[in-house]
Amino acid sequence: MAPSSLALNTFRGGASTSLGSLFQHLTTLLQSQKALQTTCNKSQKTPSQGVQESSGMLSHWVVLVLCCLGQLCADQSMKPQLAAPELATNNPTLTTVALEKPFCMFDSSLHPNKSYAIYLYVMKSSASTISSVVTDSSSKPLDSTFQQTHGGHLGPYKAASFDVPNCVSPPRLADAGDINKVSDVLKQYLFRVGDDGTCLYDPNFLDVCNPPLAPDTTYRFKYVLVDNTEGIVKDQTLWSDPIKTRKAKLPMKIDIWPGRRSGSMIVITSILSVSVFLLLAGLLASVFSALVESEDPSAETKGMSETTQQSELRPQLSSE
Amino acid sequence: MAKTDNGIRICQGLLILGNVVIGMCGIALTAECIFFVSDPHGLYPLLEATENNDIYAAAWIGIFVGFALLALSILGIVGVMKSSKTLLLVYIILMLITYAFEMASCITAATHRDFLTPNLFLKQMLERYMKSDTDNNNDKQMTEGVTKTWDNLMLQCCGVHGPLDWQEYTSAFRMTHNDADYPWPHNCCVMNTRSEPINLDGCKLGVPGFYNSNGCYDAISGPLNRQAWGVAWFGFAILCWTFCVLLGTMFYWSRIAY
Repeated sequence: MAPSSLALNTFRGGASTSLGSLFQHLTTLLQSQKALQTTCNKSQKTPSQGVQESSGMLSHWVVLVLCCLGQLCADQSMKPQLAAPELATNNPTLTTVALEKPFCMFDSSLHPNKSYAIYLYVMKSSASTISSVVTDSSSKPLDSTFQQTHGGHLGPYKAASFDVPNCVSPPRLADAGDINKVSDVLKQYLFRVGDDGTCLYDPNFLDVCNPPLAPDTTYRFKYVLVDNTEGIVKDQTLWSDPIKTRKAKLPMKIDIWPGRRSGSMIVITSILSVSVFLLLAGLLASVFSALVESEDPSAETKGMSETTQQSELRPQLSSE
Repeated sequence: MAKTDNGIRICQGLLILGNVVIGMCGIALTAECIFFVSDPHGLYPLLEATENNDIYAAAWIGIFVGFALLALSILGIVGVMKSSKTLLLVYIILMLITYAFEMASCITAATHRDFLTPNLFLKQMLERYMKSDTDNNNDKQMTEGVTKTWDNLMLQCCGVHGPLDWQEYTSAFRMTHNDADYPWPHNCCVMNTRSEPINLDGCKLGVPGFYNSNGCYDAISGPLNRQAWGVAWFGFAILCWTFCVLLGTMFYWSRIAY
């Protein structure tokens, strides 16, 4: 339960998110303490469990106090976050960004008997000077689309609408390793902005269109809590930190020069060249010496005596 | 007389031994080069597309040099045993020609190995994999070869340095496959027995366990390095031995009479 929020916020810097991360940490800790208490009450008490319970109670009260303090500044520090990098290693890509769904961000504004939906708004960072308001004058959420805002250039557009994620039992990231559970974990835990490449060009598409983003562009995201019956905005997060999509380089700029020659190549080339030269010199020397011997008459007699000796030796060998 | 007799015998014995070793090395060289030319890892299309396939040329030369060494070693043994000046002169000259060819093979293999850098394969992968508009038949053949080879390679790895190669650079693949559906080719995903990704969303997001996260450079450079070093260094060793045998043969040739 806890790892979903705990794991992802540890690496993020910036003072503005640390309070939000602390609050998230505390709420999940609070839930885990509640769960521990209920299980302790149900099961048989042992001395070790009793000790755990008392220390649990103390930390529970500490957590509650901090929690109330945190709730006062909750609205100031809730922001959409990127999905956990341990889970989604390819994020953001050239045209998509995977965001964590807003777990436990709107819990203070939820009434038990009403139905709510969460809308996700996307805009380019540069559009914040033009317009960054997601509600109209009567507190209803904006119904802008990707085409109307030129891909978020003129203002925020609605990219998605989904149910409020389950704060009490969030998906366990450890389950993402299991083939059977990974689809559910991904669906419950994150939302991929820019996932649908065909809805822009499909005239029959009636749902909220989530087309791919532009590469090398900074975007900002916001979650909005909407009451389904009244259709008005109940709560909203802050605009997220600017998130930039990847930039792609051209392959023709890749340098394929191999660098220095390797040592092996130099050794082989030099030694073999020298040896070829020596062999040619040796051949010339032996041919030359053979010519000199054949011209020299004294050498001829020497050669003759050698051949007679060899011819004497051969019959001896053949007899043996 | 006995001394020179013994000297000649020793010389003959050494030369025959040297030629026997050359003959065996020739057979080994032929076998090794046939193994490399048969391309057991299927990497030849990659080199053909880079127009840098000279380590295969070196292996082809090695096959014929191996045969030549075997034949010439037999000629050398016969010549030494008969102490025939003509035979030995023919042996020396032909052996020098074979020496030159083998030298060319070794130097080619060693030199062209240096060209096979990761960037070379990266550039070729990005420019040729699944390229849709090919200029001519030659281009089309090379593209098909590269695509097929990479599809095979990607069963166990992705990209040259890693799958992020597909994200960091534009490519011919990116022209026909958009980034939202194909951040990297689906062959990079872990596949089930029916050659489908076991979870496409997990693969697209980069969830560990659902895509191949290691780069293919080791799988490419390993076999190619072994080929280049095998041809170059084994050939070099044979040539060192042949150098000694040839010098000895020349000395022996100059000492015997017609």
